[in-house]
Amino acid sequence: MNSKGQIELIGLVIIVILATLGILFMAKFSLVEDTTKKVIAREFLASSAMGALMKTSALCEHQDYYGNFIKEPLFIQNELLEDCALYKNTNSEYQCNNLHSCDFLNKTIGALLNKTLGKGKLNKRYEFKSYLLQNQNEIELIYLIDEGGRGCRKKDTDSSGAFPLPTNAGQVISILKLCD
Amino acid sequence: MKYKTKKAQMRMMETIGVMFIFFVLILFGIIFYTKYSEVAFQEKQAEKMGKKAVEITSKTIFLPELICSRGEAEPELYCLDLLKVKQAQKTFKNNFGDYYFDLFPFTKITVSEIYPGNESWVLYNKPKKVKLANGTLVGSKQKESTHFLLTLKDSVKGKEKQGEYKFGMLTVEVFS
Repeated sequence: MNSKGQIELIGLVIIVILATLGILFMAKFSLVEDTTKKVIAREFLASSAMGALMKTSALCEHQDYYGNFIKEPLFIQNELLEDCALYKNTNSEYQCNNLHSCDFLNKTIGALLNKTLGKGKLNKRYEFKSYLLQNQNEIELIYLIDEGGRGCRKKDTDSSGAFPLPTNAGQVISILKLCD
Repeated sequence: MKYKTKKAQMRMMETIGVMFIFFVLILFGIIFYTKYSEVAFQEKQAEKMGKKAVEITSKTIFLPELICSRGEAEPELYCLDLLKVKQAQKTFKNNFGDYYFDLFPFTKITVSEIYPGNESWVLYNKPKKVKLANGTLVGSKQKESTHFLLTLKDSVKGKEKQGEYKFGMLTVEVFS
């Protein structure tokens, strides 16, 4: 009688083990998300966004030498960002829409990123940063995050890589981070 | 005698119970495996399509018919020539069967201007048709998209003949 009870107990234990294994197996497959595809697309997007952004010309309305208001396209990286780095603490050379070049860039880049990566478009969270390297110190020029204000601080983030711009004030580094 | 029959019946019930649980477990296993393989297949398909979309996007941005170039100088990265883009719609349509279908099978390629304007151009559109059970042909709803941000160079505008670089997006949708 005793040994029969033991055999039944072993049977019960086997059933419990099988059921547990099944549940664990199920949980493993349902929780592990396939991220390969997402990562490839996000990396692709991050580098392209930054490459395009730096080359874009922003329409700047400013006064010329004769005091006339003119509207001309200026390169974001080579003209406006350089101007922002050179005249960070004084009046900038370019006063687009009566704004300092850093403020104008802040507004323009923010609008461009929101129009493409933001809510209702590609729905990505992002963090854009431009800083000036001066005597091994980082001086922040532009810092932008998505409308939700969460930015990208967790692991699952892709970066465009650093886009450097040598200026007379020092090296300007721009980076865009993207996450879902 | 009566006691022995009852005991046998109880044993039979016990065996039936164990068998029932065993088969229920096997059934669960089969159902789960079928569902899993279905999802895994769909994910693989989507991954394959995603890779194809990235591949087609890479081909498109380096296409001599679209890329920004100046004489024999190196072509510019992240840039499509707006004049070429406008002309490409016609070129792609006229040479669709001869050349472009091999490059972009069942794909829709759209270039949109984001800043300062908001125009958009469909360069290529060949959706895949799927035959339904009743014989009618409908466009496939299974598609995978990739987006690539780039500049659109307007050589006519801009100062000192440098051209104006507009901000744009290239969208490639691959149908399966």
